[in-house]
Formats: sequence, C-alpha cells, structure tokens
Amino acid sequence: MSTENKWSNFVNWFVIRPKTSGFLIFLVFSIGVVFLNTLRYQILKDSEQNEMNIILKNIHQNIEESLRTSYGTTVSLALCIDDNGIPQNFEEISRKLLESNPVVSAVELVPNGAIKYIYPLKGNEAALNLNILDSSTLQQEARKSIKTQQIYFAGPLKLKQGGTGIVGRIPVYNQNKFWGFTAVVIKFETLLNAAGINSLDQTKYYFQFSKVSPITNKEEFFLPIQGDFSKNQYVSYVMPQSDWKLYLIKKEKNGFLHIFILPLLFGIFIAAFLGVLTTKLLNKPKKLQLLVDAQVNELQKNEMKFKSIFDQATVGFAIVDANSGDLVQVNEKYCSMLGYSEEEINKKNLTLFTHPDDVSISLLHLKNLREGVVREYSSEKRYVTKTGEIIWVSLTVSPLWKANEKPTVNIAFIKDITITKQAQELIEKSETRFRSLFDNSLMPLWEEDFSGVKKYLIELDLMNKSPEYVYSFFNENPDEFYKCISLVKIIDVNYECLKLHKVKDKPTLMENLTQLIDSGSFDEVKKQLVAISQNAKQFSIDSRIKNMLGEYRDINLRWSVIQGYEESYERVILSTEDITERKASEKIIINSQKNIKSLIDTIDGIVWEFDIPTAALTFISKKVEKILGYSVKEYLSCPTFWEDHIYSEDKKWVLEYSASLNKKGSNHDYEYRMLNKKGEIVWIRDIINFVFENDVPVSSRGIMIDITKTKQAENDLSSSLDLVTEQNKRLLNFSYIVSHNLRSHSSNIESITSLIEFSESEEETLEMVQLLKKVTQSLNDTMHNLNEVVNIKANINIVSEPLNLRQYSEEAIAILTEQIAIKDVQIINNIASDVVVVYNPAYMQSIFLNLISNAIRYCHPDRKPEITIDFYTEKDKKVLQISDNGIGIDLNKNGDKIFGMYKTFSTNSDSKGIGLFITKNQIDAMGGSIYVESEPNIGTTFKIYI
Amino acid sequence: MKKKEIWIVDDDNIYQIIVRKIIGKMELFSSFSSYKNGKDAIDALKKAAENNENIPDIILLDINMPVMDGWEFMDEIVSYKSKLNQKIAIYIVSSSIAVQDKDKAKTYAEILGFLSKPITMDALYEIVSEI
Repeated sequence: MSTENKWSNFVNWFVIRPKTSGFLIFLVFSIGVVFLNTLRYQILKDSEQNEMNIILKNIHQNIEESLRTSYGTTVSLALCIDDNGIPQNFEEISRKLLESNPVVSAVELVPNGAIKYIYPLKGNEAALNLNILDSSTLQQEARKSIKTQQIYFAGPLKLKQGGTGIVGRIPVYNQNKFWGFTAVVIKFETLLNAAGINSLDQTKYYFQFSKVSPITNKEEFFLPIQGDFSKNQYVSYVMPQSDWKLYLIKKEKNGFLHIFILPLLFGIFIAAFLGVLTTKLLNKPKKLQLLVDAQVNELQKNEMKFKSIFDQATVGFAIVDANSGDLVQVNEKYCSMLGYSEEEINKKNLTLFTHPDDVSISLLHLKNLREGVVREYSSEKRYVTKTGEIIWVSLTVSPLWKANEKPTVNIAFIKDITITKQAQELIEKSETRFRSLFDNSLMPLWEEDFSGVKKYLIELDLMNKSPEYVYSFFNENPDEFYKCISLVKIIDVNYECLKLHKVKDKPTLMENLTQLIDSGSFDEVKKQLVAISQNAKQFSIDSRIKNMLGEYRDINLRWSVIQGYEESYERVILSTEDITERKASEKIIINSQKNIKSLIDTIDGIVWEFDIPTAALTFISKKVEKILGYSVKEYLSCPTFWEDHIYSEDKKWVLEYSASLNKKGSNHDYEYRMLNKKGEIVWIRDIINFVFENDVPVSSRGIMIDITKTKQAENDLSSSLDLVTEQNKRLLNFSYIVSHNLRSHSSNIESITSLIEFSESEEETLEMVQLLKKVTQSLNDTMHNLNEVVNIKANINIVSEPLNLRQYSEEAIAILTEQIAIKDVQIINNIASDVVVVYNPAYMQSIFLNLISNAIRYCHPDRKPEITIDFYTEKDKKVLQISDNGIGIDLNKNGDKIFGMYKTFSTNSDSKGIGLFITKNQIDAMGGSIYVESEPNIGTTFKIYI
Repeated sequence: MKKKEIWIVDDDNIYQIIVRKIIGKMELFSSFSSYKNGKDAIDALKKAAENNENIPDIILLDINMPVMDGWEFMDEIVSYKSKLNQKIAIYIVSSSIAVQDKDKAKTYAEILGFLSKPITMDALYEIVSEI
C-alpha cells in the first residue's frame, strides 16, 4: 500500500507541477537529442574518417605502387649500366621501361650526380648536365638516397625541364664504388593522376601534398591551398621514403553544421514541443485537481458552517429519520432542553420524549410529511424531560429531501416556549380575575368605548382646540352635543352600577341610558367632551344622575383610559361613585366651618395656624386688619410676614424662642412688640398651642392679643414702681447716713457732758468744754452739708442758663490758686472758648471746684501734678472730662463707694467723703451722668455727660 | 484681777479722746491703744503677734472708717485668727442704729457684742466682767 502511495505521490508530484514536468521532459529529451546527435555526428564523422582513410590509403597505395614501379624502373635502369659504368642500350631500355610504367615521364642516369642521360630527351633538355650533388637545393635530398642506400624520391620540385615533379633516385654502385644515380622523373600531375586523385569527389574532399622542405624546414604545399584546413576534417599519411605528407581534407567545413546543428535544433524543438505538450497535458489534471481541492474546501466550509449552526444554535435542532422517526442527529441545545446527554438521545425515537398525549399527533404529522401531503409543518407540543418535567415546545419540521425523491431525513427546529405558555396562562388567569374584580367591585364600574366620540370630534375639528373653544362650541350646538353623547358605547357594567341606577339588568340600563343623564348635568358632560378633545387620559368630576326611581344621586364620575388604548379611546373604565351621603356631610362641614370662621373673626385677637413641617402660616383671622392694619391677603402673601414685622429689639429673642418652642411643642404664651402698618409699636401677647401627630408637633395654633394699652399701663406702673423703689432706697440710704452722722456727734456730746459731770478738776472740765466746742462745730458742718444735699434733691425747678464753659472752669481754677501754687500743679484747659452749655451756674461752679480740688488733693507725691480739662462730643452727647496723674483709685475695691456719702478711702485728712456725692447729685439733677476711670498710681479721669 | 489691754479702732478724734478719758477714770485697763482705721489696727496686731508682744484682750471696733472699715477689719481678723494664740474680745461700737449692721455683726463669731455710741462706763464694766 505504501509503495502504491509512494508511487502515486511521486506521480502526483509531477501532475501537480505541469510546468516543471514539461520543463523536465524538455530537458530530458533535449539531452537525449543532443546525445543522439552527438553520437550520430560522431558516427558520421568516424565513417567519414574511415572513408577518407580508405581513400587516402588507396591513394597512397597507388602512389606507392607508382613509386615501387618507379623503383623497379630505376633498378632496371641501373641494370643497364655495365661494369664500366656505361649505360648500355639506354634508349631502348628506357623506352621499354617507360612503356611498362606510364607513370614515369622520364628516366635519368646521373653518374656522379650529373644528369647525363635522359630519356625522352625531348623536352627535358634543360636538365641535362645538372649536377644535383652540387646544387644546394637538390643535393640534400640526393644524398639522402645515398645515405639510405635506397630509393629516395625527392621533390616535388621544380624541374629544370619545367613543371613540377618528383625524382626518384637510387644510388648506383659500380664495383662498390658510387657510380651515381639512376633517377626517374615523375611528373607531379601524373603521379597524382596515378594516385587517383582526380577520381576524388572534388566536392567532398580535396587532396593536399606537402613536404617539409629540407632547406626551409617548413611544410610546403604542392597543391593549391584551399585555405587553412587544420580546421577541417582531414586525414594524413606520411610517406616514408620521401617525407611526403598526404592530406585528404574534407571540403565542407560547414558540413558540421548541417550534420550536427540542424538535427540538434530540430531535436530540441521536438523536445520543447514535447515539453510544452506535457505541460499542457498535465495542466489539465492540475486544474482539475485544484478545482477538486477548491470544491473539497467549499464543501468542508459548508460542513463547518452547518455544524456550528447546528451545534451552537440557541434553538434545538434535530435530524429525524423521515420514515421511522428516529433521531439521527441532535444538537447541544436539544439535548439540554430535554435534559439528556447526546449519547442517550442518539438513535432513539422521538416519541420516547414526547408527552403521551401528543404522541399520536406527532406521528400523524410525520406521516403527512413523509407522504408529501405537506412540505412542512409547525405545531406546539409537549416533551417530557429526563427529570420528568413537562416543557412546551414550538416545532417546525422540514424535509431534507426533494419533493419527488425518497424520504430520507427531516430537520426539526425546536423552540422552548414553556415560559410563553406560562405567561399566556397567567394572562388568562388575570383576565378572569379582572373580570371578577370588575363585576364584583363595590364601586359602580363601566367599561365604555369612546372611540366613536373621538372620531366625531376629529370630524368636527375640535381635537386639541382650546378648552374654552370646545366648551362654547357645544354650548352653541346642542345637536352636536346630543350626537356625541349617543356615540358613547357601553361595553359592560358591573353589579354595583345596576344597583346605583336601580335597574335589574344590563340591557335595561343600556336602553335607558339617556334618561339617566340629568339635564342639569349636561355641563359636566360637556366638560368630559372637552377632556377628550384635549387627549386627557383621565378625568374626574362631580355630577348628578337620576336613577330609575326618579331619585337624584350625587356621583363622583371618574374615567381612565386603559393602557394600550390611549390613542383610540376604545376602552375606558368609568367609575360612578355614589357620593350623595358624602356630599351631605360636606355641606354640614362647610356650614360649621363658616360658623367657626365668623366666630373666629369676632374674637378680639388674631387667630392663626402654623404648619411646622412646611414652616408656613396656614390661617390668619380677619382681626389682623384691625390690630396690625394689614389685610389677611397681605399677611399670607409673604411667608416671612410675621418675622419681618416684629419690632427690631425683640426680633432676636422672639425668633429664637419660637424656634425652640416649635421643636419642643410645649404650649406657651409670650409677649413681644410688632410694628403695625403705620409703623407704630403694638404689644402682642401670643398664646400658642401645639397639635401633635405621632408625638411630633406638626402644627401650632394661637391667638395674638393686642395688649399695647395694658402693656403701656404695665410699663408705666413698672417705671413708677422703679422710681418709687429707687427713691425709697435713696431715701433710706440718706436717712441712714444722716442718722449715723448726726448720731455720732450727738453721742459724743452726750459722752462729753457725762464726763464733765464726773470731772475731777477744773482743768479736766475745761478740756471737756473745748472738746464740746469742737463737736458742736462738726455737728454744724454736718448739718450744713446735709442741707446742701437735701436742697439739691428737693430742687424741682433748677434754673439753667447758657454758660461759657471755659469761663466757669477758669473761675474755679482762680479760686484754687493757692493750692495750685503750693502743689505746683499744671492745669491744661482744653475747653474751647466758644463752648456754651445750658446749665445751672451754681452747680457748674460746684462741679468744677470739687473735681479740680480733688485732683489737686490726691496728686501723686513723686511727680509734678498735671490736670487736664477737656470738652468733646461723644455720640451726640456732650462730655466734660477732667483727668489727673495723681494717686488713682482702686476701682475694684472702692468703685461703688466713690460717689457714696461719707465714704472715704484715703488717709487724707481733708477728705470728707461728701464732695463727689454732692457733685453726682448735682449732675443727676441736671439729667446727666458721671463716670470715673482710674488706675492706681497712674491717674484718674472723671467723665461727665452733660 | 489682771488688768486688760484694750484697743480702740475709730476714726472720730473726739470720740477717741472721750474713751481715753473714760478708761482713765476706770483704772481697769493696763494699756490703751487707738487706731484711726482698720488697716492701722490690723497692721499693729500682726506686728504684735509676730514680735510676741502683748495682744489686746479687748477691741472696740467702729464700722465707718476710711481705708479699711470695720467689716473689712473683721474679715482680716477671721483669716488671721489661727495665728493668734490668744482670744480677743471684739465689740462693735457704732453710732449706727441700722438693723443691717446689727445683723451683719451677728454673722461674725468673733464679735461678742454690738454697742451703740455713746459708750458708758457701765458697758465697759460689763465687757471686762465677761472676759
């Protein structure tokens, strides 16, 4: 088998390479041709050569014959020489010899090398007496014959007698002494003729005769040279006795071509032809082979395609035997659909997997297909999977054989439609459910078809026109309106609907439909038509119907277009809910609401409601107009109205407080000021209650009461109270101080008097009396001071007049000149000379005196005292400032005592503790205030706000 | 009976003279010192305590005084009390009749009594006998 294969492979190799093969053939044949040709040529040449050799042989044999006879002649001639060396009967013998040897043209006797005797003498006379031994040209050859003791043919040479010829000489010895020669002269042509040269085929060969000249040693040619024949084919023969070379030369140089080249070319041409033929011949199978290959490829590809489609399809493919129903080939999907592996399924009959109920139908289909009743069928059937599950499949089967052929296999295309089937079942179920829901709904439901209405509206060109336009159209064209109503088709109604209308059954309802639409409710119907014209998908309206008993019922009519019918309005669901009771309750509610409202409006306070999640006011009563001057509309229009109108001073705390309240939801009331429309302040008492939902405050309600008057009164009372309290306090203080000071003096007097009583000596008494004097003096002073203070306090009408401030300050300084000088105080008075203040002159003087004298008194011992008096305006208040660089006051310790009565805190004996008290009182009486700033050891500054 | 040392803390000169006179007549006291305000008094007291000199047995304290008044003096006494190894009988002697002052005096445990001016010999006798 393998050798066969090898052989076929080998052949194939050639078959598929026609060009190569052709070329090879050509090559082979060419080589063959060349070879043959060469061989032939060679043969020819050889034969030629042979022929030539033969001819030449012939020739030279002839020549040799001639020569031999010539030799014989010479010998014979030599015989005529007698012992004395004289030729006897030379002529006679010569004649005879010449007759017997036609070749020889003359005989010679050359005694001692000189030609003495010649026969025929006629014509050869020139040669007579020629001494060949003396002749340079001849002697060499002549001596040769002597040397060889044989005949030597000299020449071809030019004969003395004329012409060319050869001379054959033999040395003759007479009594062993060289006598001379006997020679024969052969005319060259005669020799050649005798040789048979002329019988040569002159066309084919020519003859050449050469001799190496003894003189020149060059080869001399004696026949006409026909070119250099060394290139030609020739044969040659060297004649021994004469050094002659005979040539036979082939004439046709270019016979070579003829013999060799042409056949060669011809042969090559044939070879080429054969090669081409082979190529051509082999091309065909190659083409065929290629075609076959291509076809095979194509087939394979298709096979692949089919295979991949078959295997990887997402639908099941099965190839079934058309007759038996056995599964021939199945794909992956089919197997997985059924839950079996490929091996399990293969070759089994499809009825094995078919649901028992569908088996007979399947077989019937198969039969029909097989018998050609149908060319294809589709069906839905059930399969039982390996696990026993039932799946629904959609099956399409086509035959894989032509209509009039024998049935072979069918191909089935199987799709799993279990899910679709299930979905269908669900749809059916839901359809049933819907039906029952519809029928048994507790709300009256209608299923209607508005498509006719829509179409008519399109006809009337009312679609998508403005609602007002459509509405007025129907108002003006009642006939069209009735037509539209009549186009409404009722598909179905449910039980509740029948109950509502108090009819027994559907047909009755359908008949009496128009009666049921009350004329009073035409308006609502028109609105519905408008809705349809606007392509509304839903509609809701309250309307009225009249039931079969003639009773009016209020209904809430809603319709909604069923999904999928939005364009055509073919299916619309309506519900007509009986709202008669609801309407009645509504009326009651509305009534009570009205009552409440009027109640609220009469309350002498602004009733409000606030929604916490949205932080917006939901209600405010009319009273707001009276209390704040704004209308309800104005109030509600601005979401931050309340905040905006709170009096600025209260705004912050009110908002904070209300925010915290809102979070906690604790009921509370608080008071604050608001601004009314005129900009006046209104005192509001806000009482708030919270409403909870799931423990979270969701809204608050309250009432804002105008308490301005009350507040005013309250404030007045409060300020009066404050005043009185203040007065009381001061009074108490004052009385306490007074009593203490007065008491100290009076107690001293008492003590002294008792001491005087118990005095033991005059001296002592006197002493006591002195003391008494002092005490009374002090008492007087105190009384005086107190008087001053009381005066100030009691002063109701304080006289004020415009005072030049600078003047008064300078007056005070003048009064204190002495102290200023003593302490060397520098006073810097920065009050401008034009400053005028309306003030009580006495007070002004007192103030200046007090403060300046204090500054002087409490100066610092370590430095030069400096007092600065300034006057400036601070925030439209006039300020008089007196500062010094004295010992300062520890305000932390004594700040509250400084303006107190009899409060001193220095060891200075002059300080009585009453000066600043009086000053402060005076300033307070004039409606100003005094402040002190100080730092111990640095200085003090008094600021008086006039 | 051992003679007591008494201090007067009051800013009224005349009153000081008067008291001095009265005490002179009583011959109850060994020595008598007077100070014009609370500060002088407390300084002297501290100095006496440190130098181990005699500390007074009795102090008659006025309320209204410059620099350091009676109450301030009392506060100083309270904080300094621990350094004193001897008890001092302190009496407030004031011309004040205010109830607040009397109440305030009660808040100090060290104040044994509140006397109103003028001070009499009988009152002094009582004080001495109570020690």
